[in-house]
This record gives sequence, structure tokens and C-alpha cells, in this order.
Amino acid sequence: MIGPHFAYIGPGAGFAFFGSFLTLVAGLFMSLFSILAWPFRMARRALLNRKSFRKARVKKIIFLGLDGLDPRITERMLAEGKLPNLARLAEEGSYQRLRTTFPALSPVAWSTFATGVSPARHNIFDFLDRSLKSYQPRLSSARVGKPERVLRLGRLRIPLSRPALELRRKSQPFWAILGKLGISSTILRVPITFPPEKFEGKMLSAMATPDLKGTQGSFSQFTTRVEKASYENGSRYPLRRTADGFEGEIEGPEDTFVDGGRVLKIPFRLLRRGDVFELRIGDSACTLERGEYTAWQQLNFRTAIGVKVSGISRFLLTETDPECSVYMSPINIDPEHPALPISHPSYYAMYLAKLLGSFATVGMAEDTWALNEGVIDEDAFLGQAYSIFEEREAMFLDALESTRRGVVACVFDTSDRVQHMFFRHMASSDRHAAVIEKMYERMDALVAKARSYVDSGTALFVLSDHGFCSFRRGVNINSWLLENGYLYLRNGAKESGSFFEGVDWSRTRAYALGLSGFYLNIKDREARGVVQSGAEAQELRDEIAGKLAALRDEDGAAPIRQVYQTAALYRGPYLEAAPDFIVGYNEGYRCSWEGAVGKITTQVVTDNPKAWSGDHCVDPVLVPGVLFSNRKIDVNDPGIEDLAPTALNLFGVQPPAWMEGKALL
Amino acid sequence: MSASVKLKKDLLKKIAKVAAAGGYSSPEEFIEHVLEREIAKLEDAQSDEEIVKKLKGLGYID
Repeated sequence: MIGPHFAYIGPGAGFAFFGSFLTLVAGLFMSLFSILAWPFRMARRALLNRKSFRKARVKKIIFLGLDGLDPRITERMLAEGKLPNLARLAEEGSYQRLRTTFPALSPVAWSTFATGVSPARHNIFDFLDRSLKSYQPRLSSARVGKPERVLRLGRLRIPLSRPALELRRKSQPFWAILGKLGISSTILRVPITFPPEKFEGKMLSAMATPDLKGTQGSFSQFTTRVEKASYENGSRYPLRRTADGFEGEIEGPEDTFVDGGRVLKIPFRLLRRGDVFELRIGDSACTLERGEYTAWQQLNFRTAIGVKVSGISRFLLTETDPECSVYMSPINIDPEHPALPISHPSYYAMYLAKLLGSFATVGMAEDTWALNEGVIDEDAFLGQAYSIFEEREAMFLDALESTRRGVVACVFDTSDRVQHMFFRHMASSDRHAAVIEKMYERMDALVAKARSYVDSGTALFVLSDHGFCSFRRGVNINSWLLENGYLYLRNGAKESGSFFEGVDWSRTRAYALGLSGFYLNIKDREARGVVQSGAEAQELRDEIAGKLAALRDEDGAAPIRQVYQTAALYRGPYLEAAPDFIVGYNEGYRCSWEGAVGKITTQVVTDNPKAWSGDHCVDPVLVPGVLFSNRKIDVNDPGIEDLAPTALNLFGVQPPAWMEGKALL
Repeated sequence: MSASVKLKKDLLKKIAKVAAAGGYSSPEEFIEHVLEREIAKLEDAQSDEEIVKKLKGLGYID
């Protein structure tokens, strides 16, 4: 058994470091025990298997998740004969639109897929939630804290325990329930599975897994261009000319082994070799050719006490003459030497990396910001997205190959990211006009591969969590609240910085944060709340919902289709953490980039100039997902909450009373 | 990591009933939620700089 040195460098977190001697002794002991116990384990498993599957109607269930696959585009392409494998699946079994969650966001919808409950029961309402004390945003789904026990030796800080990691998604996923009954699952990159939970099966974490710097993925650009550029989600570093090429320094995470934690750095060189360069990092070297990504390069950052922390990045030469620029992907946690747990069991990520090669591990692996900010172009973005797709496909097929009984669930993000970044091209005649259609065809080809593992005892479901539409104009709800006297800035200011800078909370009755909705500033709930809960709050909710729905754009169009009061949408113990309102934007609109992070602008509705031009943060009624199955599903209005009880039911397990979804089969 | 806490049987029975009625998936989930809510009132907020840094790179926001 391998005992990894779980270590983590990121903002505010520390290492969990276990002495190598202790690890070695424990590893030897565990290996010996594991060998001796093997026959007993096999016998127990065989007995349990026989019992577990006695009432099952299937041997195996495959969930193929294609994030964001849109029903309107799918149905048009089906009619045009461009998706033959999905068409065959629909013909043999069924196809329906799949109702999504309120709001129609991946973390919310996939959490509902896993648990069979609404957001009020699984506690994920958005990518972000807020601190009730500081009004600051936090990732809604995971917390990474500091190690609790730290040994201080002068300036050194030696963590004696793992960093506190917490998955904020509540309730229970169906694979955990099946696992307790001896039915094993392989869960690959289903969103909101970081940190990984223990259960009977294997899991690779997805959305919310940080990069080695502790962020959600920040790229680096090394360049000879001297002018300053500040990237919103990446960093620019100088590339210095030398006699035989260039040199620079890769900035990694902070060294949390010492007080004040300096940033760990690795020097690198680019040596000219004819038309190409040789990239030298430490002892390793690879060829860097314009427009071609390198393979994953291992980056070992050495800390003050000599412990190495390993990450992986890919490099892309984007220009060579007269200026030279190199893009470096976010530093992903190295799956072979994970600095944080990214799989269950912990060695599953290592197994996959050894078997199939290294792979992207950060939650949102496709670098949409690098394209938004012009650091890479469309072709480079697509190259990266499809390379990640191929990594995922290899893992998925490996899981299908090795699973005779149980569940295999895998979510592919390519469909979501490509639509986000290419939606505006779809209506154009430029060379990227067909990118989205080609992506749909590629997903269809993947379905064919999955179908080759389907026999009469297998139920196959191909589903998406939401659809897609255009994002042309952004609505800043905070600006609207300011204009209408529900939010105030100090000194009568009309605009502010991010994260509610300058907001006068003593007079503010409502504020917006995140992509889906907004909150009232409730007394005794928020630290500086002013609205009395109960009748006063309800009256204010009704007033705001009515006024906001009447908002009009410059051309008279209605940006908002409906304003939903969350308390009327669902019931559950975590409702108090939900936004008070979910804004159902009309097609073409979404909350503005600034509004999502609590920045107040002078205009309420503004153009979206970014490459990110497709979205699904609209009224969920407008963006259902898709559901294909090789089984006949004869149910009106299936919802994504129905898949978890369906999985249980197919294995002969009565869905528990807390699940709100209904079995489709 | 988890640890055990002893509760009186009668209390646990009541908790199980309330948890099921409230939509929790287990009595443990109910207990955790109630305790977390109370502890959160006493805890300090994280520094703003840390929070902002952790969100960097999330595609959907600036």
C-alpha cells in the first residue's frame, strides 16, 4: 500500500506531513496484512455480491454525463441525421428532455443527480455562497483549511496533521447507499466530489478541486513583451533573453513550512534548436514547438525543509519572433504524487496516471480564462479541451472494461466549455462556426464507444445537467438595487470595487452575489442585517420581485423572464443558506461579470465582450438537459433528481424517504 | 475523519424522528448541521485576500 505525503500549499493552508519512516513501517505492515487477509476478503465479497444483486434487475448501470448538452441543438442535429449513435439509442430505448434544477448550474444539478434531492437538501445553491459575517464569497462546495496541529521550530512550521478538508455537499449520493449494500461504483469526475468521500468503490474528484496554488486554476504567461498587463485570472512573468535563448522562473505555491511563506520558484531555460526550442526545467527537457502543447511536465517545488511538492503543467509556445511568449497551464495537482487527496482510494489517481499517463486534475480544467484574455487563441483552447477529453475518455473506457457489475458514472466537461467559448461563432460564417456541431458529433462518437460495453444486463443513461443559450448582455443586480434604493454606497458613490467595497450595510436591504440570485440583508442572519425576518422581509421580497421583473433593456427587451422566491421552490433543512431570490434571466442575458462578484457599476445592463459567449445561468425552464437511455422510460417530465432513485431501484434497493426524485424505471 | 459522541438513547430517538421529518439523510447529518450552525456564530471570518485568491480561475466569474 502506498502512503502518499499529503501536502498542500495554498492560501492559508498548510502541509500535512507524515514522517517517511513511519509511513514505510505502516506501509509494510498494511501490505502484509492485506496479503494475509486477501482470501477472506474475496470470500466475503463473493457472498455479499450474491446477496446484494439478488433483487437487482440489472448487472451494471452506465451514466455518461455530457455537461451542458443542449436539447434544442441535439434535437436539430438528430433530425439532420448528424448524431447516429444517439439516434439509435433513442430508437431502441428513449429520449426526453431532462428537467434541471433551480438554478441551472452544474454544481447544483450534478449534486441533485448524485443525491436525488433538491438544493435545499444538499446545500449547493451556486458556485459561490457568502460569509454571513463578512459578506464575502466562498466556494460553496468545499473548504480547505489549515492543519490543526503544527510544530513550531523557530521560523519553521511543521504540520503534524492533514489540512482540514470538507465537502459541503450534504445528504448522501446514491453510490454511497449502494456501496453499503455491497454494490460497487466507479465515479469519474462527477462535479462536487472534492474532497473525495470514502465509499465502496472508486472515485476521481472533479469541480472545486484546486490547483497547486490553491486557486481554481490560474495560468502563467512568460513573455519578452515588457509592457505590463494584468490578467484577471492569470499572471504575466518576464522571459529574459540569453545568448542561446531565454530564461525565466515558474512561480508555484507559497512555502507554508516557514513563517511568511515565500513563493516557491523553479528556474527554466528555453534553448533555441533551429526552428524549435528545448524547454529545460531542472533535469528534464522537452521540445517546445509553436502551436503544439508539451506533454504534462512535472514541476517539483522544494520547500524550506526539503520536502518536495509536485505539480504538473503543460506549455505552449504562442509566438517566437520578434517577441517570444509561452503559455503555461495552471499547475495541476500531480495525480502520481497528489498534494491533496483527489481520489478514493487515494491510490486510484496514481493507478490511473501510471496506467494511462498523467492527466488534468484541477476542477475546471479547460482554461477558459486564457482564451478570454487572449493569451491563447481558439485553436489552442480547442487543442487543450480535446486533449482533456481524451484523457477522460481513456479513464472511462478503462472503468467500463474492468466493471462487470455495479455503476460506472463519468462526466465530460468538453461539451460545456466548448459551448461557453464558441457560442457566438455558431451564428457566424467564420472558421469556428461549426466548432459546436463538431463537438456534438464527437460526443455522439463517444456514445458509440460506451454502447460497445452494453449488454442485456446493462442500463445506459446519457444525460446532461442543463442546456445552453447565448450570453450577449449582462445584468448587474447590485447596480439595479443601488438605483432603486435597496443598496447604498458610502459617501453617495455610484460605483464600487469588487466584493462590496464601499457598501453601507447599515442602510442596505438587499445584495447580490454569485450567478443565480440575491439575498436580503436580514437582521440576526447577516452580521449587519437591517431587515426584520418575517412579515417585513416577505413584504420586501414581494416588492423587489415585482419591480425587478419589470426591468427593461435599452431596446425595450425584458432581460428577466421571472424572479423566483426560493422559499416557494423547495423545502429542506439548508433552505436558510439559499439566496432569497433566483433570477430567471431571459435567453441572451445573464448576471454581469461584475455583479456576480459584488461590484457596482453605473449601468445595469451592459454588453458581454468576452469570448465566453454561451451560458446557462438563465431561467431553468429555458435550459433543460437531455436524457437518453437504452431502456424505455415512459414518464412525463423526468427531472435530474430522478436518476439517483432510478439507480437504486434498478438494483432492487428501495429509495430512502428523504429522496425527492422518483424512480424512472 | 469522524469521532463518536455519546447521546442518551431517548434523545437519539427524538433526533432520528426530527431528522427524517426535516429531510436529512441521517441523524448524524442533522446533528452536524445544528452544531455547525451554532459554531459558525462564534467563528471568525477568513481574510478577504485568502477568499479572493481561492476563487481565482473559476470560469464563471471575473
